[in-house]
Amino acid sequence: MTTLGWRSGLQAWIAALTLALAAPLAATAEVNNPGLLVHAADDEPTTLDPAQVEPGEGGETVILQVYDRLLDVGPASPDLIPSLAAVVPSLENGGISGDGMTYTFKLREGVTFHDGTAFTADDVKFSWDRAMTMDLPEGNAGALSDVVASTEAVDDMTFRATLSEPSASFLNSTVVAMVASIVSQDAVEANGGVEAGVPNAFMAGNMVGTGPYKFVAWNRNENIQLEVNDDYWGENAKLDVRIEIGGDPDVRVLGLRAGEFDTIETDPSFIADLEGADGVTIFTGGLLLEPLHIGFNLNIPEGALPSEDTIPVDFFHDPRIRQAFNHAFDYEAFLNGPLAGYGAFNPHYTPIGIFGHDQNAPVYSSQNYAEAERLFREAGVWDEGFSVSVITEEGNLFALMCLVLKDSIERLNPKFRINVLAVAESVFDDAHAQNPLEYAMWAKNADPAADPNFYMQAYQHPDGEWGVVHGFANGYRDAEKVASLIDQAAVELDPARRATLYSELQAMLYDDPMWLIGAQEGIVMAHRDWLKGFATQPLWPRPSLKFALFDK
Amino acid sequence: MQLRDYILRRLMVLPVLIIGVSIVVFTLTRVGGSPIGIYLSHEMTPDEVAEIEARFNLDKPVWVQYLYWIRGIAMGDFGWSGVAAAPVADVFPLKLAATMELALASGLVALLLGIALGTYAGARRNRLPDHVTRIVAVSGASLPQFWFGILLLIIFWAQIGIAPIGRSDATIFASIAHPTGLYTVDAILAGSPAAFWDAIWHLVLPSVTLGYGATAIIARMMRSALVEELQQDYVDAARAKGLAERIVLKRHARRNALVPTVTVIGLTFGFLLQGTITVEIIFRWPGLGRWMADSVLRGDQATLMTYVLFTSVLFLVVNLIVDLVYANLDRRVTLGK
Repeated sequence: MTTLGWRSGLQAWIAALTLALAAPLAATAEVNNPGLLVHAADDEPTTLDPAQVEPGEGGETVILQVYDRLLDVGPASPDLIPSLAAVVPSLENGGISGDGMTYTFKLREGVTFHDGTAFTADDVKFSWDRAMTMDLPEGNAGALSDVVASTEAVDDMTFRATLSEPSASFLNSTVVAMVASIVSQDAVEANGGVEAGVPNAFMAGNMVGTGPYKFVAWNRNENIQLEVNDDYWGENAKLDVRIEIGGDPDVRVLGLRAGEFDTIETDPSFIADLEGADGVTIFTGGLLLEPLHIGFNLNIPEGALPSEDTIPVDFFHDPRIRQAFNHAFDYEAFLNGPLAGYGAFNPHYTPIGIFGHDQNAPVYSSQNYAEAERLFREAGVWDEGFSVSVITEEGNLFALMCLVLKDSIERLNPKFRINVLAVAESVFDDAHAQNPLEYAMWAKNADPAADPNFYMQAYQHPDGEWGVVHGFANGYRDAEKVASLIDQAAVELDPARRATLYSELQAMLYDDPMWLIGAQEGIVMAHRDWLKGFATQPLWPRPSLKFALFDK
Repeated sequence: MQLRDYILRRLMVLPVLIIGVSIVVFTLTRVGGSPIGIYLSHEMTPDEVAEIEARFNLDKPVWVQYLYWIRGIAMGDFGWSGVAAAPVADVFPLKLAATMELALASGLVALLLGIALGTYAGARRNRLPDHVTRIVAVSGASLPQFWFGILLLIIFWAQIGIAPIGRSDATIFASIAHPTGLYTVDAILAGSPAAFWDAIWHLVLPSVTLGYGATAIIARMMRSALVEELQQDYVDAARAKGLAERIVLKRHARRNALVPTVTVIGLTFGFLLQGTITVEIIFRWPGLGRWMADSVLRGDQATLMTYVLFTSVLFLVVNLIVDLVYANLDRRVTLGK
């Protein structure tokens, strides 16, 4: 199934028509919707509750604006800055204990929630405990519960977290995560309280935080409205916000050209429709922390593969085959085609832009058919050939990445066959959640994170999330060493030694890849010229924008 | 059989039919696979998936799931819409009202324009106005809605900037109560001219887009019927009596030509409801069509089952009413045989 669906056809028609007729759109001299930021989003949130939201999901965009966390990251650098905590804890200021097990946060004074109640350490303890108690499967409570052993409100303005083991990524990964957002204890307890394993319906559709924006309304399938919090503890936001939800991506492009939208969410394939448009600025800079990858399954049950697949279940146990796939992929075609040139190639598995990325690490970044052929021959599959399926969602970059793979592999040897199964998102999610997985390959993107430990644990560790499902232990040349290096790096508090461990891992994983990383997608945004203060930060949830920074 | 007995018998059969329909709807939907996918996140572990299955009773045998579904419906719980991120029962009335308002407005556009154009053309058969009207009508029937819609958007929204997109201005919409869900009606009930104007103004482009296709059908039908009526003897008689041509046309020929046209108008309402899917996507109209399209694409079975069940029950009820009306209007129809 290689069709990308009816939407692609519709979009092609609309794009052609738009280009033909909208070209003469003139720049509007005056600012549209003064005092209001209109952001056109591509997704409806599934929840607005920090304890329920999935990383990378549309709800995180709104949570980022309405709730605060103890620490934050500014637009200019990945360095942590204080938010509801008055200072960033460190060994030097005594915020981190010598053994790395206890973190003490002095809290900011005089902060109030949007419901008028005062912010105290009890709210922090309540918010973190709440997420861990609810422990919703769709949420990200594990980011807290995997590291935090206990929480304590030492006094009204001091909060302490004790970890279950030292964690080098606690501040960067856990404290800034959306699940660690601070909610109003009074608001939650007045509206359903906390129940283990059960979502809170009020919090899923309402928000009571301390952030620069107050929640006003969520009209399903239509818009979300936020208003400036005039009592914000920091610098006040300048513009109210209306997030327009969903709709056709071409209409979003048209709306930006017309000045009806100030910012839009789109992907690089639409940028050509905006290049040269009057009054529109295309912002490029930085990379999303969500590498686009294709997973190799080393844990395929007998008889489970689609009938057209001819590979044995231990096909990907051989590292030469995984290397050959990585060498055969046409990286330039993917980067310059679907990604319109906006992206880069990152080593396994450390995205560019986070701590631990080694600029000198070997990277699969260009097609090498000679090496791919050599490896396929050595592995003994060249003469006989094979047929293997890759499952993905239809109508997006993942499906296009699979088509590039298909083209790359089938051109290398006509006896090789890649079947791209592009299915509806729900069908993919269902298949993707199975253990064992009944497909030899699947394509998607990584979840974003601020620390390399997340990627290494989730995507490389033989006992990690995907390591278990994919059976990495069946295929690593030295699984124990990979596990040992990842575990050491996770608790290494000395940055230099930690970076060295990640460098070693990146070199090892180049020779023993468990993924094919198509590219790390570039950040490409488009906004009206009249929007001032535009900035992005890939460590913020997609689309990596803080509306409070903007003015017009 | 007495009318009262007939009604009672049909009403007694109705619940059985509805249960039958519900079984068919449930079974057909499940043929496509489990509804679990819409509730899953991308990186869930099998244990987490099992938790979600338990939350929605999807870990039970299929027939038990059906009973849970039916019990939920009896209690007004139609399940959780993964697309709308809300209970289906909360969202459905709002979306239905938005779509009905769009379909009714489009129907009004089609009715007024169709009858006017058909009359104008029919009265000027084979002359220039007839040819022009024919071109307009054929265009309406043949232009793809998404193409026509985006064309109107580019011209009136993006270039000239006089027409809005969406259903309402968010601030004005929030300023009034919405007891009926029909924005125009709610605006009248609230006595808010600003809201009423906002509702009408937002309806213009989508209802013209949607109504244009139906306009063509009605206009062609009206023209043909009028041409036929104008050749009848009673029209000659009216002219012979010395009546003005305007009166012959409006009071005699057009009135009779409306009879077959009205039948077509009834049928076009179904066409309009179908067309809302494309128009709602293009114009960001928050109605049932856009919701259903997203639900089909994302496998939101709770929403789809509610929609199919709703339309099936509506069909059963409307059929019952039509039978009763027929029996009442035409005494040759015998009830219950």
